[in-house]
Amino acid sequence: MSRRSFIVGGAGLAALLGIGGIAKYAGVSSLLRPPGGQDEKRFIALCLRCQKCREVCPNGCIMPSKTEDGFVNARTPKMNFKLGWCDFCAEAYKGVPQCVKVCPSQALKLPDGATATSIKIGVAVIDKDSCLGWLLKGCRTCVDNCPYDALTLDENNRPVVVENKCNGCGLCEYVCVSLKNASITGRSKDRAIIIKPLN
Amino acid sequence: MKNMKAQNLRTLSVLVIGAIIIIGFITKIGIGNLSAVGIKNLSLICPLGAVETAIAARLLIPRAIIPFLIGVILIIIFGRFFCSWVCPMPLLQRWFPGLQAKEKAAKDAADAEHIEAVKVDDAAVTAAQATVEEGAKKANSFTLDSGTWVLVGALASTAIFGFPVFCLVCPVGLTFASILAFMRLFQFGETTISVLLFPAILLAEVLLLRKWCQKICPLGALISIIAGLNKFFRPTIDDSKCIAASKGINCQICHRACPQGIDPARPATSEVGLNNCTKCRECADACPYGAISFPFMAEKKAEVAAPAAEYWVRYRSELGFVCGAGSDRASPANQKGKQYWDRGSGRRRRLIRWRSK
Ligand code: SF4
Ligand code: SF4
Ligand code: SF4
Ligand code: SF4
Ligand code: SF4
Repeated sequence: MSRRSFIVGGAGLAALLGIGGIAKYAGVSSLLRPPGGQDEKRFIALCLRCQKCREVCPNGCIMPSKTEDGFVNARTPKMNFKLGWCDFCAEAYKGVPQCVKVCPSQALKLPDGATATSIKIGVAVIDKDSCLGWLLKGCRTCVDNCPYDALTLDENNRPVVVENKCNGCGLCEYVCVSLKNASITGRSKDRAIIIKPLN
Repeated sequence: MKNMKAQNLRTLSVLVIGAIIIIGFITKIGIGNLSAVGIKNLSLICPLGAVETAIAARLLIPRAIIPFLIGVILIIIFGRFFCSWVCPMPLLQRWFPGLQAKEKAAKDAADAEHIEAVKVDDAAVTAAQATVEEGAKKANSFTLDSGTWVLVGALASTAIFGFPVFCLVCPVGLTFASILAFMRLFQFGETTISVLLFPAILLAEVLLLRKWCQKICPLGALISIIAGLNKFFRPTIDDSKCIAASKGINCQICHRACPQGIDPARPATSEVGLNNCTKCRECADACPYGAISFPFMAEKKAEVAAPAAEYWVRYRSELGFVCGAGSDRASPANQKGKQYWDRGSGRRRRLIRWRSK
């Protein structure tokens, strides 16, 4: 190997150590992963950014993360409940989560016998400033739609999340009408109920 | 199809594979990209990605083992074919000659000059010079280059920081990431700086790191290591057609054409080993005598030369004879030997190493 080769190789080696360090700590936010990707440390070690999970999702609720989510997260899958919600593939594949099934590196992995009620993608959180129910406009769209009875109405008919029943399926966020009523709810960019990662 | 230049075939191959992946982006078949490509849960996995993720998670991923081994078998059979026929990077570097356009023009001119010089040489064969070497040397089938250090860096960084680091800047990944970012911009109005950042990093690699494939790419380096076991489809010289082997002319046309810097006509003395060959066929296309082919297995050049040749070697070495022209023409006695050799074509031993001018 020539001296030039050593210099090129050494520079490349150093560059990759640098890229690793910078990417690891620069602007990383915790993200809502598809089912089976909730252990973030394990997930980020294994995800190849191959896009398979996103492609096969019958409900189209997975999107590639943006560079804004952290360079290390860019292109990894995250949930986007504005595009669809996760029924754990109940309708299209009899409840066999396809994203987990196709993941080549098992970055998405569920324990044996996992079901829609044992899996937890995240948990719903209501923004009281923009929720039409909390603005006392009588909206109960999310409560009526939640398949897992994880939303109830309080004594003032305002929706509240029952956290231990919510599995983060995202249907409430998908159906939430707050953004369609921007004149009432203000300039919020997010819907009034959104799913947040567990940690 | 048969007369199509290898370069065009390679372009076609890369574009078709790219098109399939783009179809995958907008359908639900689950084709994936080159990190893991296939249908649904059947995929081939990028060997570097597989090694990186295993190191990052400190775990052998059961599901990835068989796809990884299939990849290894493909590399044993086809060597670094991925680098010529699948990977978009060489195509991008051809499309964007970039800052080195002048250098490339200079090289093209020098190559053209060399080809002319060889033609003249061939016409007036006596000008060639050769030294005789006893016995054929084994082909130099394994060398490593700077890419190996980059590979070490990629794996070390992955071990330290716990995620596949090289994947973030891999030109293969970035090519498809750029396309996907653009597609989503129009499909969903998804705005992100990725749309600008991915192509920018990719373009920087394409334009600034011109020797990426030969000197830097850790994926190429990993494949090169595995391809040490590749003995098939190697560039093989037909000694009776090659003017270096048969006439002793210092022809370097194939050597100059090889993007990897391999000297296919003189593999024994080639600085770059045959494990780095990407089976691109540039050398075969460049050879004006059609002397290079890629047989599944090369016919073994006889270990012991034919008797007449042996005699000739001894004759010359005893006299301390260095011939002024091609060895097979240096003496009348050789005429017999040459005939014998020609009859036993393909079984001759390569006896000659050419002194470069
Ligand atoms: S489980 Fe099915 S619906 Fe839910 S994210 Fe995965 S592929 Fe989509
Ligand atoms: S299928 Fe697995 S490896 Fe591929 S992008 Fe999704 S989580 Fe990552
Ligand atoms: S509250 Fe929302 S996210 Fe939670 S289970 Fe109900 S619909 Fe799904
Ligand atoms: S060396 Fe790397 S970038 Fe070049 S063709 Fe091979 S895989 Fe692609
Ligand atoms: S030896 Fe021939 S086929 Fe192999 S990389 Fe060089 S030019 Fe391409």
